[in-house]
Amino acid sequence: MNRKTRSLLTTSAAYLYLIICCAVLLLPFIVTLVRSVSVAQPDGSVAFSLASYSEIYKQFWPKINTSLEIALFTIAIDTIIGIPAAYALTRYEFRGKKSLFALLNGVWYVPGVCYAMALVLAYYFVYKFFLGFWGFVAAYSCGFLFLMLLTCMVAFRHLDPRYEEAALCLGAGRLGTFLRVTLPLIGPGVTAGILLTFVLSFNEFITALLLTGPTRLKTAPLAVYSDIRMFGVRETVAAEATVLQLISLVVVVVYLKFIGTRYLRGVILI
Amino acid sequence: MRFGRSAKVLGMLSPAILLEIGLFFIPLAMLTIISFTEKESFFFKPVYTLDNYLDIFNFYGFDFQNTFTLVTAAAFVDVVLGYPFAYIMVRKIRRFADLFRSIMLIPLFGELYIAYGLWFVFLPGGPLSFIFDFLNIPISKALYSAPSAILGLAIYTFPFVVYNVGISLQEIERSFEEAARCLGAGAVQTFFRVTLPLSFPGMLSGWLMSFGWNLGAYAIPMIMGGVITGQRIISVKVYSTGLVTMNFGLSAALGVILVVISMIIFYVTLKATKGVLV
Repeated sequence: MNRKTRSLLTTSAAYLYLIICCAVLLLPFIVTLVRSVSVAQPDGSVAFSLASYSEIYKQFWPKINTSLEIALFTIAIDTIIGIPAAYALTRYEFRGKKSLFALLNGVWYVPGVCYAMALVLAYYFVYKFFLGFWGFVAAYSCGFLFLMLLTCMVAFRHLDPRYEEAALCLGAGRLGTFLRVTLPLIGPGVTAGILLTFVLSFNEFITALLLTGPTRLKTAPLAVYSDIRMFGVRETVAAEATVLQLISLVVVVVYLKFIGTRYLRGVILI
Repeated sequence: MRFGRSAKVLGMLSPAILLEIGLFFIPLAMLTIISFTEKESFFFKPVYTLDNYLDIFNFYGFDFQNTFTLVTAAAFVDVVLGYPFAYIMVRKIRRFADLFRSIMLIPLFGELYIAYGLWFVFLPGGPLSFIFDFLNIPISKALYSAPSAILGLAIYTFPFVVYNVGISLQEIERSFEEAARCLGAGAVQTFFRVTLPLSFPGMLSGWLMSFGWNLGAYAIPMIMGGVITGQRIISVKVYSTGLVTMNFGLSAALGVILVVISMIIFYVTLKATKGVLV
């Protein structure tokens, strides 16, 4: 066996391994998708049909709407809070910076159930005014602030401070420099944080499961979960799960199409 | 001037700090306090006691053992399968790398969908039933069992392991490997005596990261694991003792123990990676 055939064999084995791993990662989604469009006929055969989607449309759309609104408000709050905090953490030196960063990220390192349980107790006892829609927004914007901080810090670190210094020398004010130089330059980096916050907060389910008691609000993933527990094998439930995954998938694909994986590397992807 | 600068820094940071204190540290402090009170008495007239922790020590040993078995096995599967994946991604291929990278975002959609999809896979007559027929295992035994729950958990945290191992592989200087090759080591020997030891911090942090994330997993063990493996999990117990039987003290105590364990794990991870962000 000469050198060329051997390298060809190694490369194809490498690709085969990657494809098998990715197939296993995609398997749950594909199976759910196939289940949602295949309807059993009376004679035992299985036919392609989109009936389950039209069936769930009416009662499931409001829940998706609620989830989308929660995700959008979460993104807005996290962007407004996260960008200045990330700027201060990258551009200024002060004592206790590392421990402050660790404290700000503490919530990311706590299991979801414990965070949700702590929040439920706090909502029952201290923040009684928070119940409802804003309770979810507050919980998610605290829980996912880490993603925005991390992506913005990576973006700021890659940005050369000389651009800002030049703008300041040329007579722009602090605020003007930030709005007209810094923000446009880090914009693409911030979109990575927005994408991750959207994907995670739109599909968040464990906090929603625990908070649904005090807030009396049912988000879309939670509705899917309770439907799975009630009548899991029905194709309508599979359709609900597929719709939610497709929404996330469309957002991810659009993002990758326009911006690519560049700004996600070093944050969550190699 | 100096005062102005620190005021500005504080102004930029204070919304984030306030948010985290209000919605994370105060609830966590409440969780800790409630874990020392009896049942739901905190909401009426607090009765302070240590019974919750004693109860956990006496009666919840099996649940902890069960949780750690599942989570350790899933992390082990992840590292064994994720290391070659990251190695190929970093060293071997150029084309389609972005496609494989993007697929790593799919498990982030949440454990709920993974659990539900795998549940269909393992249902009798599912797409993988021919494998079980071939191995002569009844597929009904595969559905509610520990191995299927481990598979689900492994899929859930696979991207984190690939990420951590990949980062540490990228940091290894190629000149070390070239030096080993020049000094007469073969490709296999170079890998096992140079590359693998140098990427060990990445493997460790990937393992711990997977471990820590899966500790909080709820839907996968609940849907895939069946009665014994699925419902005797700490995260499920936190929910069921707290909001089903309304024993808030016990639930909070279980939560505090879980928080402490994952804090220790992530602290070790941060030390192992020398502060590389996880």
